Amino acid sequence: MKNGYWQRMLRVDLTSRKSTVEPIEEKDLKDFIGGAGLGAEILRRELPEKIDPYGPRNLIIFATGPFQGPAVPGGAKFSIVGISPLTGTFADTAAGAAWGPSLKDAGYDVIVLKGVSEKPVYIQIMDDDVQVKDASGLWGKDTFETVDAIHEQTGDKKLSVAAIGPAGERRVAIACIAVDNHSFAGRCGLGAVMGAKNVKAVAVRGTKKVEVHNPKATSELIKKYQKQIREAVIKNEFRKHGTPGLCETAEGLGDMPIKYWERDVWPEGAKKLGGSNYTEALNAKPLPCKYCPIGCHRKITITEPEEYRYEGIGPEYETLGLMGTNLLIDDPKVVAIGNDIANRLGLDTISAGAMVGFAMECFEKGWITTNDTDGLELKWGDPKAFFTLVEQIGRREGFGAIFGEGTVEAAKKIHPDSVAEVVHCKGLDFPSHDPRACISLAPTYATGTRGACHFRGPCEDVEMGGFFIPEVGIKEGTVKFFETENQSRVAVKCQDLGVLANSLVLCLFMVDGGDWSMTDVTDLFNAITGWDYSVDDLMLAGERGFTVQRLNNIRDGYNKAMDVLPKKMFQVAKEGFRAGKAIPFEDLMKDYYALRGWDENGAPSKETMERLNLA
Amino acid sequence: MVVNVKLMSMFARYLKNHPDGKVDMEEDSTVRGLAEILGLPVKLVRIITVNGKQEDLNKVLSNGDLVYIFPPAIGGG
Repeated sequence: MKNGYWQRMLRVDLTSRKSTVEPIEEKDLKDFIGGAGLGAEILRRELPEKIDPYGPRNLIIFATGPFQGPAVPGGAKFSIVGISPLTGTFADTAAGAAWGPSLKDAGYDVIVLKGVSEKPVYIQIMDDDVQVKDASGLWGKDTFETVDAIHEQTGDKKLSVAAIGPAGERRVAIACIAVDNHSFAGRCGLGAVMGAKNVKAVAVRGTKKVEVHNPKATSELIKKYQKQIREAVIKNEFRKHGTPGLCETAEGLGDMPIKYWERDVWPEGAKKLGGSNYTEALNAKPLPCKYCPIGCHRKITITEPEEYRYEGIGPEYETLGLMGTNLLIDDPKVVAIGNDIANRLGLDTISAGAMVGFAMECFEKGWITTNDTDGLELKWGDPKAFFTLVEQIGRREGFGAIFGEGTVEAAKKIHPDSVAEVVHCKGLDFPSHDPRACISLAPTYATGTRGACHFRGPCEDVEMGGFFIPEVGIKEGTVKFFETENQSRVAVKCQDLGVLANSLVLCLFMVDGGDWSMTDVTDLFNAITGWDYSVDDLMLAGERGFTVQRLNNIRDGYNKAMDVLPKKMFQVAKEGFRAGKAIPFEDLMKDYYALRGWDENGAPSKETMERLNLA
Repeated sequence: MVVNVKLMSMFARYLKNHPDGKVDMEEDSTVRGLAEILGLPVKLVRIITVNGKQEDLNKVLSNGDLVYIFPPAIGGG
């Protein structure tokens, strides 16, 4: 084959504990590339409508693409795909560390888990040896302890481990999957789906190397791009400060959540949390995934005060938003401790922060009282309230148990009027980017196939001037803040790119931050696969993948009437950068639908389906 | 004339001589002129807004204008 793929899919039936290997057709790889695109197509082909996310029919798909074989910068990634308990439909989530390349080295492109194991198990893969092993001794351990315990039990410290924590075991609908004590497949609650299947972890190592079309060109291009990306991120300080470097700018633009999306500005808070303050206060250093020239993740050391002494991984921009400014917390050390609690329990830090913010708002409005919380005062900015509630959510205990099915379901139990205050799309809490600041996010979130997500379409970075795709006509000046022209086009192209990146699988920061051009990405893709794609061909594969994700949404009951934004997004700011600006939502959506070629119900038209070879 | 300036993140240090964000300029100066007074690396300027509307370096300023200047922003993951 020599195309960067094994064309092999490992299927594990947890009910029967049997595993089989199936071929993957080259046509499917040419159409969907791998990762989140291919995973979506597997869900479309194999699942009926509206299945129970926690039932045996749901699938958990771990999928790589052509970029996990060679040492591609930003290629140490993989996608996890399944039906989300939060949204009830297609979800994909990605992580880094070393798991993706390890699966590839074991001789597979994709693993599909189905069924439900009777008892807790973990799956150990070492090349052709696939074992479903007893995990009763691991059940209850946190995500970090699980990785260490598997290394100890197997005597193989080189196993790359994707594990759930107590939150996943207890089916908390925002449970994540933690990888190698380092990276987190955070969003959409697929950790709870693993928990429902009684799978504590998937550990993998391999000794093989997949063959590529042109090894010499592949290795030369990789060497060149490694240097090029590294120089870019030193210059723009991305390596130095990681994603926390964005805080001040994001707040300045009105892009960061403050007091659960109620307040317009908080420059002092953002300054204390981000950039050089973060780097100094937390002694932060870059923590790269395998092969990564950027190292956006942070390794931090807190020496004082005593109660916050800590050494480990630090919070990222998204977490500083949802667990920081969102809660009116301005101490990066407090966010770091809350981040660690969530990481160990195996919780998505974005949704966990959103839940705490929502709870604090409800407490302020009197919809929650200390009678509900066993005396816990959910006051804005209070570290104790924050830590305690995150712990309760993750363990599904005390008042926090109310969030076990997600923020929307919790709101229904808290107060009827609180439901409209939840800031979400499709049930997925907003990340730390505000569509009122970057209006291209409005159609991006409203139509997001996994719900509100800025990273399945990083259009906000186009508006902020940090990222362009000149090959598809997205350049400096293509969009202007608050002006409708071209915004939906940017949203569409960025969504397609988001799916493409999560299909290759490529960390978006290589192109968005590392200044790696799509032409470069395409050149490397061709050296690996030998398929002679153009940038447009690759973008078309991204569009096809996005459309198949949308078809999953439609099968599960979503339609045009559900392509909406929550109420708070129509509250106009009184001060700051976006003062007086309203989202021109209807105009943006009209443009978006026309560009997508969707009909009046929100389904791809016949022509669109034919154009994408999906008919 | 005096314009009100807000600089963000890696640009913030260029306002150290103007802690109140007010910058004295000659009439009809442009944003480019403002950037030069402040010593901003013009090549890194990506976003400029004047009174809430996105503009470029050639925009002519008026007394009392509110000017935001941002470097490229990345890292929203």
